[in-house]
Amino acid sequence: MSWLRIRELVRKEFIQVFRDKRNWPILVLAPLIQIVLFGYVVTTDVRDIRLGVVDHSKTPESRRLLESFDANPTFRILFHLENPKDLDRLLLQRRVDVGIWIPPDFQATVRKGKTASIGVHVDGSMSNMAAVRIAYTSIVMDEVGTRLLRDRFRRRIKFGEIDLRVRTWYNPNLDSQFYYVPGIVAFLVMLLSLLLTSMAIVREKEAGTMEQLIVTPLRPLEMILGKTIPFILIAQAQMIMVIGFAILWFRIPMAGSALLLLGATGLFLLSTLGIGLFISTVSKTQQQAMMTNFFFILPFFMLSGFVFPIANMPLMVQWLTHLDPLRHFLVIIRGIFLKGTGMSVLWPQLLELALLGGGVFIGAVNRFRKRLD
Amino acid sequence: MSFRKVAAIARKEYFHLIRDFRSLYLAFFIPFLLILLFGYALSLDVDRIPIAVVDHEHTPESRDLIRRLNASIYFDVVLYPESTAELTQHLDGNLAAMGIIIPPGLTADLKAEKDSPLQVILDGSDPNYAGNARAYITAVVGQWNKERLVTFLNRQGQEPVQAPVEARIRVWFNEELESKNFIVPGIVAIIIMIVGALLTSLVIAREYENGTMETIRSLPIRASEFFFGKAVCYWFITLVDVLVAILMGQVLFGVVMKSSFWLMILASMIYISVAISLGLLISIKTKSQLVANQMAILLTYLPSLLLSDFVFPQQNMPVFLKLVTRIIPATYYIDILNGLYLRHLSFLQMWQNFAVLAAMTGILLGLNIRALKKEGL
Repeated sequence: MSWLRIRELVRKEFIQVFRDKRNWPILVLAPLIQIVLFGYVVTTDVRDIRLGVVDHSKTPESRRLLESFDANPTFRILFHLENPKDLDRLLLQRRVDVGIWIPPDFQATVRKGKTASIGVHVDGSMSNMAAVRIAYTSIVMDEVGTRLLRDRFRRRIKFGEIDLRVRTWYNPNLDSQFYYVPGIVAFLVMLLSLLLTSMAIVREKEAGTMEQLIVTPLRPLEMILGKTIPFILIAQAQMIMVIGFAILWFRIPMAGSALLLLGATGLFLLSTLGIGLFISTVSKTQQQAMMTNFFFILPFFMLSGFVFPIANMPLMVQWLTHLDPLRHFLVIIRGIFLKGTGMSVLWPQLLELALLGGGVFIGAVNRFRKRLD
Repeated sequence: MSFRKVAAIARKEYFHLIRDFRSLYLAFFIPFLLILLFGYALSLDVDRIPIAVVDHEHTPESRDLIRRLNASIYFDVVLYPESTAELTQHLDGNLAAMGIIIPPGLTADLKAEKDSPLQVILDGSDPNYAGNARAYITAVVGQWNKERLVTFLNRQGQEPVQAPVEARIRVWFNEELESKNFIVPGIVAIIIMIVGALLTSLVIAREYENGTMETIRSLPIRASEFFFGKAVCYWFITLVDVLVAILMGQVLFGVVMKSSFWLMILASMIYISVAISLGLLISIKTKSQLVANQMAILLTYLPSLLLSDFVFPQQNMPVFLKLVTRIIPATYYIDILNGLYLRHLSFLQMWQNFAVLAAMTGILLGLNIRALKKEGL
């Protein structure tokens, strides 16, 4: 193996990438736009619940109920309506998230010591957010219920309650960006390294220059190294750029070791470059390569736990996710950023990533060599 | 515009596609895979949250709490660590998402009618998940308090007492509260972008890279003929994809359209035209497949995934991005899908969305023709 030949091929590859002015925006601008976009957008927090209310009771009790919603920072009463039909219309037009209807006999029922039913109409279309809205609504209603009871029986009550004290670890303010931005970094590294490797090699095939490379004294392994090293360097550089941006722009603290992260990135790139190489061996045109890339990227993205929690998946699919390099890398990068965890906790992920990456890379290299011989 | 010339270009493109068998079959297989994943494996609904309970009490009261947590669909008590230190390990290792510490003296406090603290430790790293978990645990404990108060009053008092308020909850539009009911239709919008825009973004760039654009320039065809010839095959492929997606959603996962099927087809046809015009425009402008592909991801796929109100609510976005969402075609298409699949809306209730998409098609068509003319066609 000759380092000189590898170096020259790497040099050629760099010249080819950077000579084309149109590549610059892809390499620099695209990752930054994506991280900003993802960073601001990817959240399904329920911050603000828009309410429409119909109060047919108009008594101190019903006002008490509505005041509790008003005082709660999560709820915002937008409409006071007379007709329950209007409530349904607003729900249909997506102008409110929850509609509350207090029946005319509310006060009488409560004073009799019976249970009054309050109509709660919820827009369920985004079910995950609707479930939280329902939970918040029940919390407020239970509070009001407890307080109404306490008021009525004030004289003979001495009752101990459970006082819930929730402490949140790792991300105390439940800031979405802290969680998603490191994940985006991982996703971007995968996207770029996969696409760049496979398409750059297939482009040589399509343009016919692959033949020329084959007739040079380059040995197969030298060719593979010469073709992958540039993308390892570019991907690591992008990684550093994107992380720097995440820390400076989004103010994401990094609790753990940067060195460990770079090492883990190396292991991760082994898998993505391996897959990129593999795709290049099975594709004749760039169009094919791109579609095949998406065939890998989409399931990797979906099954990684980036947006869709792995715990929600059926058990069999949960096992399947172990084949997804992005899944392991996400656990590592989030662990390092948020929890500051090190080798002692992350070794299973690192090991799996190494095995996966090693296997894929060696397999791809073998296939690639056969194609060249 | 001569129909014969459009057909000739379309025929050429058709042969490209047929010869490139794998692109073609992936164009059908990827949507299939996506629908399968979303219908079967991926859910945004947070339930069965794994929790670890440190029970320092082992009394009927503490067992009642654990039983309540287990009975709720939202929680699964998976671990019973002995100490807080052990609990910390479970949280660090992602074995539990929430820890509950029942302190010594809880039962005694409650029996003495004193308030008693219940410590909950939440893994906040996934804020969506943690936010849900926090809301659910607060609701469960709030309900427990209320019910204990009612029992207490009934034990004490002369008159029978019931809880004063009860929410009679009616869920609209997505009655089963399952995320697949809005994700499976929404994924159609993503599929159209992947197949319609990403695939076509390479089509003209390829001609430039291979030098065949020169040949095409010398042909006696007009820009519009070339454009429609290029677009037509992909347009039909994407339409077939949409049909397959609708059918799979309905047959395999029971995601049923509430409004008219034909309205769905009409909306999809317009949206496909937008996607393909966007893809081709990118292709003409960039002239390089690699660049075109990246641009297409950036300008078509990602916005329709992130900004369209598909799973990430526009309500939460900063004002600047809210404005951007207005120029994203997928915003209007997703709104139509929502109306058709969940809200049972009619054409008259959604015509603005149709109009915007149609206008976008017109503008993009014009831009395409102009760009092609500038290239000498």
